[in-house]
Amino acid sequence: MISSASTSAAAARKKPKSDLRSPQESKWRSGAQQRIYGRRLLEALRATRGTPPAGPRAIKDAADSALALTARGQTRWSRSLLFGRCRRRKVLLKSGGKIRRRRPPRPTRKFVSEAGIEPQPPVLKGKKVRDRLRVLSRLVPGCRKLSAPILLEETADYVAALEMQVKTMRALADALSAAALSSPPGESAPAVES
Amino acid sequence: MEKEAFFGNSTVINWQMRSPDAAASLPNMNSGHVNIVWDQTIDQSAKFGSALSSLVSSPSSNPPAAPGGGDSVVIRELIGRLGSICNSDEISAPSPHYHSANNSCYSTPMNSPPKLNLSIFPNPAHMPFSADPGFVERAARCSTFGCSGGGSHGGEQFIFPEVGKLGNAPEESCGSGNAKKRKAVMKGKGKEAPLSSSITAVTNPPKKASVGGLNTKRSKPSEKTGIEEESARQDGDAASKKMEEEKIAKPPEAVKDYIHVRARRGQATDSHSLAERVRREKISERMKLLQDLVPGCSKVTGKAVMLDEIINYVQLLQRQVEFLSMKLATVNPQIDFNMENFVNKDMEIHQNCGLLPPQPVYPLEATASSFSFANLPERTPLISINGLELQSQVNPFSQPNLSRNLTMQLPPLEGFADTACQLGTFWDDDLRTVVQMGFSQNQENLFSSQSFQGSVTISHMEIEL
Repeated sequence: MISSASTSAAAARKKPKSDLRSPQESKWRSGAQQRIYGRRLLEALRATRGTPPAGPRAIKDAADSALALTARGQTRWSRSLLFGRCRRRKVLLKSGGKIRRRRPPRPTRKFVSEAGIEPQPPVLKGKKVRDRLRVLSRLVPGCRKLSAPILLEETADYVAALEMQVKTMRALADALSAAALSSPPGESAPAVES
Repeated sequence: MEKEAFFGNSTVINWQMRSPDAAASLPNMNSGHVNIVWDQTIDQSAKFGSALSSLVSSPSSNPPAAPGGGDSVVIRELIGRLGSICNSDEISAPSPHYHSANNSCYSTPMNSPPKLNLSIFPNPAHMPFSADPGFVERAARCSTFGCSGGGSHGGEQFIFPEVGKLGNAPEESCGSGNAKKRKAVMKGKGKEAPLSSSITAVTNPPKKASVGGLNTKRSKPSEKTGIEEESARQDGDAASKKMEEEKIAKPPEAVKDYIHVRARRGQATDSHSLAERVRREKISERMKLLQDLVPGCSKVTGKAVMLDEIINYVQLLQRQVEFLSMKLATVNPQIDFNMENFVNKDMEIHQNCGLLPPQPVYPLEATASSFSFANLPERTPLISINGLELQSQVNPFSQPNLSRNLTMQLPPLEGFADTACQLGTFWDDDLRTVVQMGFSQNQENLFSSQSFQGSVTISHMEIEL
């Protein structure tokens, strides 16, 4: 029937959208990822404890590296985070390529590109949009000089990952502080002014 | 020039005949369309044959061309009319699909007929000037094809590539400037341009082109035109083949001219515009993705504002990470103890925070975190602030039946009672500043709920940041 056809068409149309969404959102929002990240974070924190307590920045770095590790190096920002300290970062970044998706990449259409093609998409990139894209590229690690669609993709993944990171860290901090509170007062270390 | 005027008249009649018929015959079959046009042109040709021969004979300085010249002139006229038809159809036909069919059908030959007008119009002008063996050569070739083809489809098919080749040669000789002029003129016309304007459109560019063409023709020797022909033929073949392939590949979107000068009006059927459209769609797709991800972006439209929101959200998240890391730094010395417990608690907290507790079962921090999870998707800061305020005051006072497994949380609750009162005083200032800074209030709640004086001072520090 028409209605069923329309609904099926709508469903079909929805499917690619959910497919598009799923690699990033569902990946980061799944409990498994949180657990993995939690464990990695704990390990990282334990590692930082070995060194003289370096303060929040070290912890943040540890958290970020743990996050990037959980991302399994499939995204540019994760690779840049992981290899940020390494000299050979550029090589590693380039070798990784784009985000790998479950969906097969779209087949490239045959276009005859004559000499007149502009490298950028057309007029829609107004000045404001371009400025904001530049700001965004500065925010997301390792995403400078990226074209708009790639940048947006990376941003989506980064946002999802950050949300998960915040969630996990908050839970961890809560648990830790609660434990600290519950433990005998001698052990509880009140806030260090840092 | 009288000849041009004559051509103009003939073309007027042709258009009046052509456009309804051509518009009526809207098949996707390009060849079919071609056939119809050709039939009519050939009908007309008979009438004009004599007139044209007279035309040719008067300025003819090519006696060898004369006998074949009659046929060649006929065919030239046909080609010219085709070109004019193409122009007129392009201008007057209402549906873009028709255009696309027309364009695709004529894509390489589309080049040629209007540009062949170039060759036709100046050539009669040339005839008195100079013997043009190159033109004669072309005309002869054309005539042979024309004779063999007659009204048959095969002939049409033959003629078109020939026409294309012929067209390419003058096109290359005249340069793309003329084409661009024509493009500008044609783009200027609306879809329903009256025939007169379309006529002027056709005649004007050829006039302009003829000037340029005349110059170029004068400058270039005939041998060069012959050489150009060779190359043009190959180009035309290659282009037509490519065009065929692309037609088959994308039937609904007809391909425009390969030689990029002629971008038709509006519709993105150019390979470039196609690529651009694909890019645009990619970008809008990703923007929609981000819109779903970032809370509070559903109402916002427009890329700039949405990007603003996204930037703010990313900055917010990054700041939260910083705060949490600072908080973890304070708590870090206790990590060694109860590592396993921590892990377990983490898991439970993660699981529990998925569902909002019906009763204020959880102590402050857990409720705060659950609220944070709930609030992240819907950004209603003020409301949630009030809710959290309530929560913070309710929780310690109502000693809830803890169905949670974390018994460790119990003792802190009592400790929280004191801090909750303090929180009440802190809340207003902190929350206002928080709202101003765009933080999620949960952050503040968390900090406060930990009920360390130190942590509260830390939160103050955060605010002052």
